[in-house]
This record gives sequence, C-alpha cells and structure tokens, in this order.
Amino acid sequence: MSIEEKIRDIIADIVHCDKSIITMDSSFQDIKADSLDIVQALVAVEDTFSIEIPDEEAQKFQNFADFVSYVENQVAQKEKA
Amino acid sequence: MSQSLQGKLALVTGSGRGIGRAIALKLASEGADIIVNFFRHREAAEKTAKDIEAIGVKAEVIRANVGDPAKADEMFDAIAHNFGHLDIFINNAASGVWHSVTELDVKDWEWTMNINARAFLLCSQRAAKLMEGRGGKIVSISSLGSFLALPTYAMIGVSKAALEALTRYLAIELAPKNICVNTVAASTVETEAIKFYIEEQGGLNILQITPAGRMVTPEDVANVVAFLCSEEAFMIRGQKIIVDGGMSITTPRSAEKEQD
Repeated sequence: MSIEEKIRDIIADIVHCDKSIITMDSSFQDIKADSLDIVQALVAVEDTFSIEIPDEEAQKFQNFADFVSYVENQVAQKEKA
Repeated sequence: MSQSLQGKLALVTGSGRGIGRAIALKLASEGADIIVNFFRHREAAEKTAKDIEAIGVKAEVIRANVGDPAKADEMFDAIAHNFGHLDIFINNAASGVWHSVTELDVKDWEWTMNINARAFLLCSQRAAKLMEGRGGKIVSISSLGSFLALPTYAMIGVSKAALEALTRYLAIELAPKNICVNTVAASTVETEAIKFYIEEQGGLNILQITPAGRMVTPEDVANVVAFLCSEEAFMIRGQKIIVDGGMSITTPRSAEKEQD
C-alpha cells in the first residue's frame, strides 16, 4: 500500500467518511474534519510512519496532496539517514 | 539566582510554551535541572531548553503525547534510564475542545479526558516510583473552569475537576512516601492558547472582572508552583491554590466599582 493510500485510510477512519471523497485537492474543511480530527490524523500518521509533523508545518497544508507530499519527503529523509 | 531547588530534577509536561514554559524557567532559576516535555511544538520546546541552559542548569527535551499511555510510558522509561530518579513532576500538558455541552461527543470526551485527567493518573504513578526513597513534589495545573461554568469550556472544565479530585487522592496516598501533591488553578492566563479562546468568545473582557487590575501571567502561576515545590510548602497537601487576581470571589458589579 502506498503512503498516499495509507494516509487516505487513516483520515477516512478518523473522520468517518468514505475514502473516495478524499482527493488530492481536498482540504480538511472539504471533508468536514474538525480541529480534533486534524490533530488525531496527524498523530496517527506520525505513529504509522515514525515521523514528526510539527503544527507549524501542518498549518501549511492546503490540501491532501500537500499532506502526502510532506509525509513522503519525511519518510524519504528518514530512509536516507 | 536562588538555589532552593539545586540538585533537583523536574519534569514539566507541555513546557514548550505558555504556563509550562514559565514554570520550567522558574524552577530552573531556582536551580533545578529540567526535563522539557512537548507534543506538537518541537521548536518551542528546544527554545525553552536553550533558555534553561542559559540559566546554568541542565535541560533535556522529550517528545511524548501524554494522552497516549504507551507514549507516556516511553517518556518515563527514558527518564528512568537516563536519570534513575525524579524529584518534581509538574502535570501541565493539557488539551481540549471548546463546545457547548449539547455538542460534545465521545471523541471530544476521550481526547480531553485522556490528556487532562488520565495522563495525570498514569504519569503520577510513574513519577511516584521515581521518587521512592527520596520524596518529591507533584503539582497539577487546573483552571477556574473546574468549578465555574465558563462558556463552551464544559469539556475542559470537567477534565480539570477530575484532575483536582485526583490531586486530593494522590496527596493522601503518597503522603507516607514524603511526596507532596497540590494543584494550582489559574483564571484566564495570557497565553497563545487563551487568545484563541477569547477570540472564539467574541472578546471576553477579563480585565473588567479581575479586581487585581491585570490578567494573570504565566509567571504568576509559575511563582506559586515554585513555592509548592519548595520545602516551605511541606505541610500543604492536596490543596488547590487559586491564582486569579480575585476574579472568582467577586461579582461583575463589585469589579466595576473597583475600577471606578
């Protein structure tokens, strides 16, 4: 399963939505995620990939694509180290 | 620098910012080495640690979501491994949702209670073990919302009420181990978190209802916490010290008169 698919599954599970509605353009608002959903999604993704996503970075995510891209970069950096 | 806490080791949860940071710096200024715990703001925690080291004591940064028992355990395992003991535990880390009671759901309840109340139980159990044979101080941070009904504050208020009750039970059960347990409840403190709350409420005028004439600062809270961590406070057990500039014992009318 790709990083994108794993993140999509995590968010769908937390927000209780069908994962098909989470497209690359979707924002958290689009899928009706509240602030607690967002924090829980960040924490779950951090635990899944053993990475850290500071709030300062998370606040820059405009959509799902940004989120996935950040995680992919973090995972790649971790694998390099 | 006063050295009343020289040689002591203190863990302050949520000490990257706000009240936790002020407490960490105050205890450091009294000579204690500090473990800075954070969850979401690494840069802030590292800044706190740097400022602590500038005072002349040691600082170690540990990331942990205290609302997750496994993560809290990992933090205490690291403390046990690196230091083998603990003298002071400040349960400051808090989170929560601002909703009316009728809007609260299970998710809100679990998130808030796990971080604000359950974490205090589990962390105190681990902290007490690290204080065995040497005694120690445990201070929890509460708020006026534990006994006052503040707008949209129900969830956090309930969690703080649980934390205060737990403080009393811990104080009694840990007294034979020479561990003092107390809580400090502050009114609206000037922090980033509270600015958000005030904006959400359409601009509460805290000053109007605070006889002391200014808002409570993180340093006001830190001063009382430091006192409770000192030997002078040895006979204070299971108590709540309110730091609110008189807000909770006045009325809007008397506060207005004071301002005239």
